[in-house]
Amino acid sequence: MGAIGIDWQVLLAQLINFGILFGLLFFLLYKPMRRTFDERSNRIKESMEQAEQIKEQMSRTEEQVREQLAAARREGQDILAQAAQMGDRLKEEARGEARQEAEVIVARARTEIELERDEAIDEVKRQFVDLAITAAEKVVRESLDREKHRRLIEEVLEQAPGGER
Amino acid sequence: MARFSRRRRIGIIAFISFGLIAVGAVFFPISMPHFQLAAEVLWSPLGIPITNTMIGAWLTILVMGGIAYAATRKMRLVPHGLQNVMEAALEMLLNFVESIAGKENGRKFFPLVATIFIFVIANAWLALFPGFMSIGLWHGNGEEQVLVPFFRGANTDVNFPLALALISFVFVEYWGFRSHGFISYMSKFVNVRQYFGGMGQMLRGRVRSGMGMLFSGIIDIFVGFIEMVSEMVRIMSFTFRLFGNMTAGEILIFSMMFLIPWVAAIPFYGLELFIGFVQALIFCGLTLVFLVMAVAPHEEH
Repeated sequence: MGAIGIDWQVLLAQLINFGILFGLLFFLLYKPMRRTFDERSNRIKESMEQAEQIKEQMSRTEEQVREQLAAARREGQDILAQAAQMGDRLKEEARGEARQEAEVIVARARTEIELERDEAIDEVKRQFVDLAITAAEKVVRESLDREKHRRLIEEVLEQAPGGER
Repeated sequence: MARFSRRRRIGIIAFISFGLIAVGAVFFPISMPHFQLAAEVLWSPLGIPITNTMIGAWLTILVMGGIAYAATRKMRLVPHGLQNVMEAALEMLLNFVESIAGKENGRKFFPLVATIFIFVIANAWLALFPGFMSIGLWHGNGEEQVLVPFFRGANTDVNFPLALALISFVFVEYWGFRSHGFISYMSKFVNVRQYFGGMGQMLRGRVRSGMGMLFSGIIDIFVGFIEMVSEMVRIMSFTFRLFGNMTAGEILIFSMMFLIPWVAAIPFYGLELFIGFVQALIFCGLTLVFLVMAVAPHEEH
């Protein structure tokens, strides 16, 4: 054994050397590396989960936005329909009012026209009476007094066709 | 160099190399190597021999400890530089261990197996650096002077492989006992159940079945004995595989340096790099396989 050099002291020293290297590598290499590996894999898992979450959230938000958009569109259409209805109603009302007003105006105009016609007729009558009186005066050369004359003519007129009203 | 074609460039390099070899061989001859199997003792303070292989092992510890410290001093989640290199190497080793031992056992065995791998490969590769086997003191007198180097690869000292083999053996048995319990694990080596069962049958007078059990009991005992011997022989095979390979490599490089010094010895350095890796892998791989075998549930006898 001497030629190959087995020596228990050197053997012991190499055993101790192995122990030292084991300890060094364990605390300087394996432990931190393992921790980093675990941490990294955790981190990757977490970020993947996060990405999944974000994706989910995004799709949810998108859904929400789509819903909101649809609701808004529906609301807009409602408002539009309401506005159109209201416009129709207003138009109808305005038309009705206008018609009423027009009727009132027409009615007033008619009464005014009637009034004026009556007045005109009266005026014509009076003038005609005056004319007739003048004519009669001229005919009978003031044989009759004025009052008597008027009464006479009015009587005539009363009896005349279309005189009564 | 662009003036020369590829072929001519190779020719020129070969010419220079041969020139160097010739000049080196003629004008700077390498002295006749002296190789001693046992590690040389440099000093013996307090009666403890300090051999050059011990210094080699300490250097390995220093270098590996330094690299480990530098690689993990500022651990970052996004690795960079040395940390990246060490992580890649360690992860490869971890995958190797886990592929053989499985996830759970792999994590348990990893520190031991990885340390064996790293120690062996670092010893082997460090021993190829200049300075190893070449810096030392001349001993002897007159014509019989020999160089006693300060640094020598620890793998080439039989004590180091033996130490590793003992550690491997101790841990294999330790995990075996731990995972099976003392009695169950010992029954793999001292299997007397059938034998005593047969004896009991014989005493109760059932000679025929008793004889059968006795016979298979004797076979069991023999198998157990073989198991034990094979377990012991592992120490020897571990020791001499590593010791023989690495020592042979050292001697090969020595001889090549003597026969064809200078450039021509370089390929053998490459070969030694490869052998160092392979031996480290074999040592840690076999240890791992024996560990797995020791903790694997063995069939009840």
